[in-house]
Amino acid sequence: MEPQVSGKEALVLRSGTRLDGDEPADLFGGYHPLPRTFDEMFDADGTPHPHMVGVADPIRRMDRTEYRRLQRLASNAFLRGGITFSVYDEDDGDPDRIFPFDLIPRVITRTEWNRVEKGLVQRVCALNAFLDDIYGDGRILAEGLVPREMVHSSKAWVPSLVGVRPSGKVRIHIAGIDLVRGSDGELVVLEDNVRTPSGVSYVLENRAVMRRVLPQRWERRVAPLDEYPSRLRAAMSAVAPCAEGPDNAVVLTPGPFNSAYFEHSFLARRMGCDLVSGSDLFVERDRVYARTTHGPRRVDVIYRRIDDDFLDPEFYRADSALGVPGLMKAYAARNVSLINAVGNGVADDKGIYPYVPEMIRFYLSEEPILRQVKTYICDRPDECRYVVDHLRELVVKAVGEAGGYGMLVGPTASREQIELFRGRIAENPRNYIAQPIVELSTCPTWTNEGIQPRRVDLRPYVITGNGSWVLPGGLTRVALVRGSYVVNSSQGGGSKDTWVLEDA
Amino acid sequence: MISRVADSCFWLTRYLERVDSLARLIGVHHSLHIDAGPQTQQRGRPLLEFVGRTGFYRSLPDHPSVDDADRVEHYLVWDGSHPASLHRGVQSVRENARTIREILSHEAWEAINDLWLWLRSNDARRAYDESRNDFYEHFTRTAVLFHGVSHASMLHDEAFTFMKLGRAVERTDLTARLLAIHHPRVHKTAEGESAALLAALRSTCAFEPFFRAGRPLNLTEVTRFLVFDPSLPRSVVYNLDEARFLLRGLRREDPLALPRRSRQSLERFRGELIQMDIGDIERRGIPATLDWVVRSTAHLCRAIHDDYLNPPMAWLRHCVRVLETVSPDEGATRAA
Repeated sequence: MEPQVSGKEALVLRSGTRLDGDEPADLFGGYHPLPRTFDEMFDADGTPHPHMVGVADPIRRMDRTEYRRLQRLASNAFLRGGITFSVYDEDDGDPDRIFPFDLIPRVITRTEWNRVEKGLVQRVCALNAFLDDIYGDGRILAEGLVPREMVHSSKAWVPSLVGVRPSGKVRIHIAGIDLVRGSDGELVVLEDNVRTPSGVSYVLENRAVMRRVLPQRWERRVAPLDEYPSRLRAAMSAVAPCAEGPDNAVVLTPGPFNSAYFEHSFLARRMGCDLVSGSDLFVERDRVYARTTHGPRRVDVIYRRIDDDFLDPEFYRADSALGVPGLMKAYAARNVSLINAVGNGVADDKGIYPYVPEMIRFYLSEEPILRQVKTYICDRPDECRYVVDHLRELVVKAVGEAGGYGMLVGPTASREQIELFRGRIAENPRNYIAQPIVELSTCPTWTNEGIQPRRVDLRPYVITGNGSWVLPGGLTRVALVRGSYVVNSSQGGGSKDTWVLEDA
Repeated sequence: MISRVADSCFWLTRYLERVDSLARLIGVHHSLHIDAGPQTQQRGRPLLEFVGRTGFYRSLPDHPSVDDADRVEHYLVWDGSHPASLHRGVQSVRENARTIREILSHEAWEAINDLWLWLRSNDARRAYDESRNDFYEHFTRTAVLFHGVSHASMLHDEAFTFMKLGRAVERTDLTARLLAIHHPRVHKTAEGESAALLAALRSTCAFEPFFRAGRPLNLTEVTRFLVFDPSLPRSVVYNLDEARFLLRGLRREDPLALPRRSRQSLERFRGELIQMDIGDIERRGIPATLDWVVRSTAHLCRAIHDDYLNPPMAWLRHCVRVLETVSPDEGATRAA
């Protein structure tokens, strides 16, 4: 998720200055869950789910003026804190935007979360084993469980890294696994992100703003999030190549003009690491050094927020000014650890996704705890035929794309869009998968039309060093446009605080 | 610490100091008009002189007059097209702060960000239209707030050292410039020398300290005070002493015997200055001496850049090779 939304729109939504004379007194008055859609807070008849009463009632008791005031306070807190992302394609001088946010939390019970947590750890474990395998002996390919061709044709595949095992054997130090809840109410995996998943700073800052703004006393405890930076820092130390002594870890950013710079800076600040750009590092004798005020200093671990392609102009794109010449050699010599490992994109390729349950069975001899969405692989002729005949009912995704780009949402697409995708799939079937549409669950959300159901997803974060740890909750992204299924911030998405509600 | 980050620390406070000085200076000259009467329109000239924009200003497309003081003031406050305006100054402060957001405390960042958000708001426009004094005070108060809050809420580590170093060298430079533009030969006001000297004292925060020190108001005494007084926070010598103290602290942290040009540059500059007395300065000429101070400060800044903020790659690689031969296992020091 690289947030890029029109912030002007966002500001209007958040400040919510519309004043109606005859609004219902109840903040949730007139709220109707969508038909055939699971609502995170209310039953179909409009009463809160039993475990939601304690959350819904205090909000319900706020009047609208009060709610608006708090919503404004929250916007101000984001703006003043500089919790923004940058948009550089507009004429306005100031590119910094706040990420749309509203105060009504998305709530998950501890009981459900415990199951999700186990499922996530299992999944990440299998994906990690898969990467280790395909960059190693390739057992799963030899067994024919995952087509070799599918792996080797992935844009993210780096053949020269075969045989290079990162220190600590961990490749997916940070995973963001996107979950959605369909109409049956079950959370299922929609997508894996094991390259450089972003957004976690918004999770932590959303909570900080909620704490500052919301005056209510809640009946139950909400699982705290504060451990994230120290967990990540510990995972970085765990995979440092130096056997003993303090490791020197840095966060590598593309720079202040990157849309997620706030997050890079946030994580560096909370972990007590230096935040560096490519030009702050250099490689000498296959070792990485930082340019400091007291001469060169060895760097052992790099949490890089730069895509593989831009890491090293000697290895990948010669035109990349963001990277560090020679970095890949230092990495291959195991003199530096990169977080996440290079070449991970194969595992979250949308074309590989359908095989993940098989990986779990193969590497862990377990049944998947979390289900995933039924997926048609257009590279298989019979499945491709089905897809082409049912475009109206399906979501088609280009396997190499992320951020909600290159996607066709059948039910809402125009005839032209449908035909466009029909042509594209015929041209390059390997590049497409299709899934039945998931009626993403909704959550009551503050909009300039009052509180309305808006569709949400959930991105939990899994950190792996010595063992795995899951941040309780994660980033709830909201499709702010009425009726929309697209939660990506680049396409008009917002976010909410996510609560894992501890048992009473 | 990372050199580029040190560079942003250094420049953050330099820009902030410029904003602070320019806001104070314009405010001082804005209030001069009561004393100056019909000459009031000329108050724009020293301001342009101070930021070195007289030529640029004259060659603007509409050929404005340097004696249109309101126009000059507007140019120096709001015009985002040139680097000397307050608007651009605040933007530069904020850009540097945003770049090193991981270094700053939440409070320190908010002091800067609030100034930026305010300057872009209608409140700032209204203050400019309705109470120019309040408008300029907003900048100077933010500078004080930032220095106070960063002192109180941040680690006093190397990043903080570079912030203080930036402030010290900038103050050295600005005090010399502020004194120079108020020299009676440059600043011809209707009321003569004393108004210019008072403006010089006010714009360097030295007005009350000067009278508290019990000095008679004349060019010699004002110059002596602003250049040599060891307890005046904006005097040239005070800030060179501060810079000297800070550079010594940095040098103590060098793991290697790194050659440091900045130290030499500062010692030569400071040594030469403190050997002078006010008589020497007057014989040499006050404007010429101040010009020398400005040039020596620039020389010092270049040396600080080469030593700390942007060390040459060839030199860094050389350091690695030297260190690797000394202790092949450990390489350069790992400690921060």
